[in-house]
Amino acid sequence: MSEKNNLSAIEKIKVASDGLRGSIKQSLQDEITGAIREDDKAVIKFHGMYEQDDRDRREERAAKKLDRLYTFMIRLRLPGGFLTADKWIAAHNIAGENSTGVIKITTRQTIQLHGLVKSKIKPTIQAFSEAHLDSIATCGDINRNVTCASNPKMSPLHAEVFAYADKISELLMPKTKAYYEIWINDEKIVDKKDEEDPLYQDRYLPRKFKIGIAIPPNNDSDVFTNDIGLIAIIENNVFKGFNIAIGGGLSTTHGNPDTYARLATVIGFTDTEFKTLKAVYEVLTVQRDYGNRSDRKLARLKYTVDKYGVDWFREELEKRIGFKLEAPRPYTFTERQDLYGWEKSEQGLWYYTVFVENGRVLDDEKIALKTALLEVAKTGKSNFLFTATQNVIISDVAEKDKPAIQKILAQFKIIEHTENASAVRRNSIACVALPTCPLALAEGQRYLPTLISKIEPLLEKHKLADENIIVRMTGCPNGCGRPYAAEIGFVGTAPGKYNMHLGGDNQGERLNKTYKQHLDEAAILSELDGLFGTFKKERKKGESFGDFANHKWVSDKK
Amino acid sequence: MLSESKLKAIKDFISSLNKDEQIWASGYLNGIVFNSGETTAAVAGTSADVKPLVSKITIVYGTETGNSKKLSTEFAGKAKKVGINAKVIAMDQYRLTDLLKEEYFLVVVATHGEGEPPEAAKKFYDHVMQDNTKLDKLKFSVLALGDTSYPLFCQTGEDIDKKFETVGAKRIAPLQKCDVEFEEDANKWFGAVMAALTSSSTPATQVTTSAAAGHGAASVKKTGKLTYEGPIITHINLNDKGSNKETYHIEIAAEGLEYQCGDSIGIVPENNSQMVTDIIAKTNIDGNKSVLFKNEKTTIYELLKRKINIVYLTERLVKQYADTMGHAIPVGRMDLLDIVKKYPIKNIGQFEDFLVTLNAISPRLYTIASSPAAHEGEVHVVVAKDVYINNGETRFGLCSDYLKNLKIGAKQKFFIQANKRFRLPAEDKDIIMVGPGTGIAAYRSFLAERDATGASGRSWLFFGEQHFASDFLYQTEIQNWFETGVLNKINLAFSRDQKEKVYVQDKMQQNAAELYEWLSSGASFYICGKKDPMSTDVENTLLKIIEQYGNQSPEGAKEYLEQLKEEGRYEKDVY
Repeated sequence: MSEKNNLSAIEKIKVASDGLRGSIKQSLQDEITGAIREDDKAVIKFHGMYEQDDRDRREERAAKKLDRLYTFMIRLRLPGGFLTADKWIAAHNIAGENSTGVIKITTRQTIQLHGLVKSKIKPTIQAFSEAHLDSIATCGDINRNVTCASNPKMSPLHAEVFAYADKISELLMPKTKAYYEIWINDEKIVDKKDEEDPLYQDRYLPRKFKIGIAIPPNNDSDVFTNDIGLIAIIENNVFKGFNIAIGGGLSTTHGNPDTYARLATVIGFTDTEFKTLKAVYEVLTVQRDYGNRSDRKLARLKYTVDKYGVDWFREELEKRIGFKLEAPRPYTFTERQDLYGWEKSEQGLWYYTVFVENGRVLDDEKIALKTALLEVAKTGKSNFLFTATQNVIISDVAEKDKPAIQKILAQFKIIEHTENASAVRRNSIACVALPTCPLALAEGQRYLPTLISKIEPLLEKHKLADENIIVRMTGCPNGCGRPYAAEIGFVGTAPGKYNMHLGGDNQGERLNKTYKQHLDEAAILSELDGLFGTFKKERKKGESFGDFANHKWVSDKK
Repeated sequence: MLSESKLKAIKDFISSLNKDEQIWASGYLNGIVFNSGETTAAVAGTSADVKPLVSKITIVYGTETGNSKKLSTEFAGKAKKVGINAKVIAMDQYRLTDLLKEEYFLVVVATHGEGEPPEAAKKFYDHVMQDNTKLDKLKFSVLALGDTSYPLFCQTGEDIDKKFETVGAKRIAPLQKCDVEFEEDANKWFGAVMAALTSSSTPATQVTTSAAAGHGAASVKKTGKLTYEGPIITHINLNDKGSNKETYHIEIAAEGLEYQCGDSIGIVPENNSQMVTDIIAKTNIDGNKSVLFKNEKTTIYELLKRKINIVYLTERLVKQYADTMGHAIPVGRMDLLDIVKKYPIKNIGQFEDFLVTLNAISPRLYTIASSPAAHEGEVHVVVAKDVYINNGETRFGLCSDYLKNLKIGAKQKFFIQANKRFRLPAEDKDIIMVGPGTGIAAYRSFLAERDATGASGRSWLFFGEQHFASDFLYQTEIQNWFETGVLNKINLAFSRDQKEKVYVQDKMQQNAAELYEWLSSGASFYICGKKDPMSTDVENTLLKIIEQYGNQSPEGAKEYLEQLKEEGRYEKDVY
């Protein structure tokens, strides 16, 4: 109940939005502009969209007396990143008709489309709706897409754990029917009582909120980077419950020393579904009531946890849930990566993880990935799972159907593409950045593949090509590509310039630190050449690059 | 005023006269009065001895810019002064069946574009040209207005003059053609016609001098076309990547510019240099050789580059070439370069002779997109690149291609073509502007003018194109006008942004009630852009709206629109 007096502008917009309606309907009627009204830009995020514009085109369009090329990005709600074949086909078709055509797999296991002009939003959402897909609450100050350990191969109990992604997503949905009213059927809800929202009230959360689930020993979902991380505890092949971690979050702001990346702190254990869901729910209410609503840069749960202290937070939470959290159970993460190629689950179903560079599904001159996935979907013999490293798993394939899928994958050279990708490339992540992201200071997904191509020869030179070094790049310090949880992180500072971060561990339990600032490509490559040489010479047997870098180069850094 | 006895005497005398004698007497009296010293000496000299030989004349005019009308009225005034009853009628209001009854019949007609009659003269012209009924009672003369920069100079007047002769009418004064600065030639015609209508000892030249006295240099400047020259200062393709269109916004600076919103700019394009060089290379003709074209000495190169039209030659010219060179060429239009490539010339001399018979390049008119108040010393045009298919090949319109390739800093000649039938109303009056595509030109002029002068009337714009993202011409300027209240309402129709095509007329229909409300409270309605199908569709929709919301029958709606037209509240600039 703090900072009530000095509410940020967004807080006022949320409260005045009439259940996230704002003036979106009027904005859609404004024929003269491709943009929506100023306040609606904040409101529409809760419906899963960002207004963006093509920054590359600004100057030329201004000379042509044309307004900025405003378009919208729309992100689906796919708890755990699961999609049936039918839904993939629908998304494929919608992407072709209304957006740039590229389907982007995000770092939160969902897919998003870019380049929707204003008049295409409604038809897009309606088409999604017909396919039983929605974009509710995938952006905005609210619980976003829930992530989960992706590959059923990881545990025979994967399905049991995975079900929580859906349950949590449902539990934390906003109650307003504005989404349906605006985009689907236009019928104004008469009884506002149905919309009463005890969780979000009319102010929602102070900032975005992320929840992820992991199944040790693989931390592929980067569980500690979430506001709430749930670590599945499996003992003797029995799923016991979750360790609950709070206060993870990576976004920082250049030049603002009060901002920092933070990994979530494990505060306890819950053993039943009821208790787990109750605890998750009330973490949100504590954050709702105590989070900073005057400075959005300091509004994430991590700042609330650090401001009041972990112990205080646990006590406040226990007061609200009405029971004590148990002591955390032991767990061990040993890796953080996707299991490329074919894997068979305990239940006897097959899973093929396809390498998708930076999550961009499209047909280009090298590979017809989009068509290949469509062909796979058309067989109706598989589902689709997206990973937090922006890849896709062709999932739940029966033994008898495997040859048919294998044939398509071979025919479209998907197998070759996946197998030939170097270790460093497979483990890399880049955010969207330029030209559409308004926050970007430097390139992300458009540049990282090129940089990787220049890093690969250095690794080969030092005979490190097989190392699973995790490289991540973002165009700004906001952290969408989780660069602070990488072994080598690049954070854009200006066009062509990046801060280089080193010393994160391989499994995602230690953040990296800034090693050098404001490097251009030549400096990056010459630095890496030296670092790889030293690492090769001095590493202990089996020591990861991140661990080595941590004690060698950044241990004394902030 | 008169005593009873005098009045009776006059009345008796008049009743003894037949009609012609009465008219003569009226002129006679008129002359005496003019001679009495109360009028100016200049007029007195001309009127004294003029006696009308005819009682009445009909003057019909077909006007594009208002000049024909002005001249007709002026001549009627003169005729009335010498006692001739002169009736002045616009061609589009003339009852065609009356032609059989006419005796003295004067035609003042302009020629428009490529030798066509003005829009308002079309019906009259077509009737005259198609009807072969004998008109042997008719005594006529034609004053033809035109512009020598067009190939078919005064064609309409010439056609009518010839046709009347073939159906047996008697010419009372020879056809007089006038160029852009028509005053002097028109006065010559006035004199010649007047001489035929009156018995006068006054030489025609004197009439000319006296009539011309009222028209000084200023008048010439007002009605004539001044040629300007200035550098291109801006040249932008307004369409963004991914558009099917190329629409160029071109700004030309020039000193002493005078024009009004609604006027057009005339530009004579030059031929493509490559094409000219290719023709010379292919035919081995000497580019430096001097030739005479329209009594002007020039070189073959200049002729090909700047004087004659060498693209899309008419069937007649293609046939002429075929006959001269002894080739069998299929009927159709062709570019000169293609002709000489496919059907080589056989004799350079013959080819030279052929070249000088080609049509002069005609000027193209573009509605001005700038405002004198907002863009001082500049004139702006917006030109869509004209693409057409000939014999399966993609071709570009000569002038749009020429303008597209203009470079910043290059000097460009142009003239201003006034359009008195497309003007902003009083500053406090509302305007409704419909102009898809390059039709936006006039409204950019209107809105910039209203912005610069702080006009208080409301403005409503209907604009359309193919795609919002790439084809919204002048989007940021229009947004500014909308935000600052210069533009009060805007409706947009981007035809290809959704499955069903949407056009400006659909947007009018969607806003029909409000549109009618604007009209009934005095708004002026403008259409600018493509004549077909756009302006027809817009007009039909407008009629429908008047029917629906004004509770009118279809005929009533038409009358309503006619009324608007008469009040100058329904104006079109279509092409």
